[in-house]
Amino acid sequence: MVFEFIGKSLPRHDGFAKASGLIEFTFDIEIPGMLYGRILKSPYAFARVGRIDSSLAEAMGAVVLTPEDVPNVLFNPRLVSIEEDTFKDWRILTKSPRYVGEPIAAVAAASEDLAQRALEALRVEFEEVYEPLLDPFKAMSPSARPIHDRVQRGRQWIEVRNNVAAELKYSEGDLETEEKKSSVIVERKFHASRRYHAQLEPKGAVCKLEADGSLIVWTTTQTIHNTKILISQVYGIPMNKIEVKKIPIGGGFGSSIHTNLVTLIAVGLCLKSRKPVKLVLTREEDMVHDHTSYEFYMKVRAGATREGIITFGELENIVDIGAHQIQAYPLLGASLGWFVSLYKWKALRYHGKAVYTNKVPSCAIRGYGAPEITWAVETVIDEIAEELRIDPLDFRLINYRGKGEIFWGQGPTVRSIIRSDGVPELTSKCSELIGWKNRGNPKEKTGRYRRGIGVGRGFHTSGAGGPLSGAVIDYTGAIIKVNEDGTIDYITALQDHGGGTLDAHAKIIAEELKIPPSKIRIVWSSSSTTVYDVCTHASRGVFAGGEAARRAASEVKKKILEYAARILDAVSPEALRVQYDKELNDAVIFVEGAPEKRISLSEVARVAWQRNWGSISASVSYRATVAPPSFTVYFVEVEVDTETGIIKPVRVVAGADIGTVISPELAAGQIHGGFAIGWSWAVGDEVVYLEDGVPAHRLSLSDYKLPTIMDLPDDESFKVVFASTYEPYGPFGAKGLGEAASNPVIAAVANAIYNAIGIRFYEIPITPEKVLKALKGGD
Amino acid sequence: MRDFFKWVTKMKIKFKLNGVVTEVEVEPHETLLNVLRDKLKVKSVKYGCGVGECGSCTVLLNGKPVTSCLVLAAKVDGYEVVTPDYIAQTHVGKIIIDAMLEEGAIQCGYCTPGFLTTIYAAITKGIRNIEDVKRALIGNICRCTGYINVLKAVKKILSETK
Repeated sequence: MVFEFIGKSLPRHDGFAKASGLIEFTFDIEIPGMLYGRILKSPYAFARVGRIDSSLAEAMGAVVLTPEDVPNVLFNPRLVSIEEDTFKDWRILTKSPRYVGEPIAAVAAASEDLAQRALEALRVEFEEVYEPLLDPFKAMSPSARPIHDRVQRGRQWIEVRNNVAAELKYSEGDLETEEKKSSVIVERKFHASRRYHAQLEPKGAVCKLEADGSLIVWTTTQTIHNTKILISQVYGIPMNKIEVKKIPIGGGFGSSIHTNLVTLIAVGLCLKSRKPVKLVLTREEDMVHDHTSYEFYMKVRAGATREGIITFGELENIVDIGAHQIQAYPLLGASLGWFVSLYKWKALRYHGKAVYTNKVPSCAIRGYGAPEITWAVETVIDEIAEELRIDPLDFRLINYRGKGEIFWGQGPTVRSIIRSDGVPELTSKCSELIGWKNRGNPKEKTGRYRRGIGVGRGFHTSGAGGPLSGAVIDYTGAIIKVNEDGTIDYITALQDHGGGTLDAHAKIIAEELKIPPSKIRIVWSSSSTTVYDVCTHASRGVFAGGEAARRAASEVKKKILEYAARILDAVSPEALRVQYDKELNDAVIFVEGAPEKRISLSEVARVAWQRNWGSISASVSYRATVAPPSFTVYFVEVEVDTETGIIKPVRVVAGADIGTVISPELAAGQIHGGFAIGWSWAVGDEVVYLEDGVPAHRLSLSDYKLPTIMDLPDDESFKVVFASTYEPYGPFGAKGLGEAASNPVIAAVANAIYNAIGIRFYEIPITPEKVLKALKGGD
Repeated sequence: MRDFFKWVTKMKIKFKLNGVVTEVEVEPHETLLNVLRDKLKVKSVKYGCGVGECGSCTVLLNGKPVTSCLVLAAKVDGYEVVTPDYIAQTHVGKIIIDAMLEEGAIQCGYCTPGFLTTIYAAITKGIRNIEDVKRALIGNICRCTGYINVLKAVKKILSETK
């Protein structure tokens, strides 16, 4: 298909504002007369609070918020499952802290200094301090102290047994028979560490009350509407009295997929003080007290016949979720979805358990379990292929779930059929580029520096839509308004984390209307001025949001043609054609075969205004009926220094099937960034907890060892390959990308390390210490 | 109760901020980052970590890139401070931003003003070698881009500023 704007390189709309620093993030918002908030956090991982004496702080002029000052309700900060499947175990402020850093009270004062001093003046009595449960397996023992006695599932109270927050079992097919058919069976255990998102902007919120009592909120969030709904549910404020502003977010990666606790606390301080309040976290608070990824303990067992046909797969998935649930139950379902959808298991068995521990609550990190599951499965797949003496690429191509197959995506209730699949094309092109055939055998590699090539194949869904409503809420919306000069205001609640999602939307609208994207303004809207969008998550921004934008543009186009037909005296709008006119830099509407009968879009808009025909606009709410997979096939070459254990990336060939590529540089940027975060998960990222539940080892970004520009491949060693596919359900054939870009990375890196030194690692991060230890053990 | 902040002495400092002589009263413990953002309302300097590790708050101090969170405001008395919003308006700044835009080097944008400032310092100092610019950027952390499009942009900038 030939496009006018899609696939063209255009600078992103917010680029100058971001580069110059002039764009305002939550951290930059200031309201005259605002107070500064600080949060009193539990120093203990598991305790019970008695009396809180706030008299000294109040005497200083600070406003103090204690658990008694906020509604006594349980909630879940993430509102994406239907209510019956939402587990609620959070409070805004707690008297039973369950992790180091859990908010107990908060203060607000006229300056940051005063707020800090007031915070230090709060006196908190701890009635009990318990030994924290940090190991999920110990937490599950019947003698372990319950972290929660009972929680709410929807409106029902449920008992928590053995600290198991949620459990999911599933099986399909006849496992025993398939096992008997297998000539190779491999069983391995895997452990994926807790990782910190390390988004560059720490979390924060600013709120104020309008004269009419409405609450205005600016906050780091991936979802303005769910933030509005949660504030409403927790504080009992009608939704039309809450306006959550859309504001840029300095990185998400899942860390703000839910409504952050800072937001709810800031609202509490604002309601109590009746003054504007700014509450932002320091990096240390963000890193130590606020969020991490889930931690996975997986056991994969799988088999294949001598001919290389996969027979069965089994996955045991124990997830350490920390002290509260954000999306533990859906994660168990999504993990199953990733597992099921990777390969054509003839029989499968799954057992997932989400376990409470006294650690910071875990939330989604880019991929929502897919990078970890993919790593485990792709390792086992490589091992089976090796035992069968089949090329691992051929083994994958025979057995992967591709075109025409059922695809689960985000879990058992979200299924659809795969209609676009670039895996064969990407496998062939990328393997050639990396030199797969010459990767060599680890047994023959000698010397201090050893290189190896590995492959990882994965996917992510484009959203969580589906033909049936299911347990997941997923729909979006778009508003398009043609101004009286023919320029466009595009109004959406959908957040752009930086991937260029909204620039893609602008190109989609431009393509539909044949006007240049520069005529489209992406409005910084709010929850009050947009229609519902669930969240920017599940790599749905372009696929779902982009299609909503296209549909709104299509409705607008109908009106434009109607008006143009009136002006041009055409018999009907069907007699008209639209094309982009480079000279006018506008869309022109004309009668086919009568070149003098033509009019620009801006003239149509002007005439419609002058003749009182009304505004040209459309508002669309859209639910995708499928969530197609975006496939990624990554080849990575690494170099292992066998003396230091340090692993370096040498080359990357990253293949991505994202359907139509809307913005080539920005899409490539997602792939580079997806590799970078996956690389740091594979070899570096880990939040380490000490016995008392304090993540004391790594309190700063440099201790955490985030990759710098010197640690990652340069532009010449990184090749991106896009498949030439077209997704029939996507806007102009496009699919999602964000998470697919990082999902196969750990797998590819781990397989490359094996190809270099002949050692498999079943625990990430694969640190130099572990490499050296394994090399010594092997000698 | 001992109140430390009551008896500390405020001091008035005078420095050039983006070419304009600026006077401001600061407290001894205040960092340049806080004074720029809170007192002088220069929000282009972003807070990322507060301990000199991420580079989001990079400014030029007498032409040299520094993390403003590690500089005590009192120390800049008599210095010249240049911030990203000013650099963005300069000729070289515009070349850098255009190259970053063309190469897709900007994602969430929170770290970008820091990158702009460091690259600007390198270019205006006459650094011509890509490896040297890379070394200069080692203190600027980005979690979005994997630095690759940033490198592409730097190469373009080097070829355009010959």
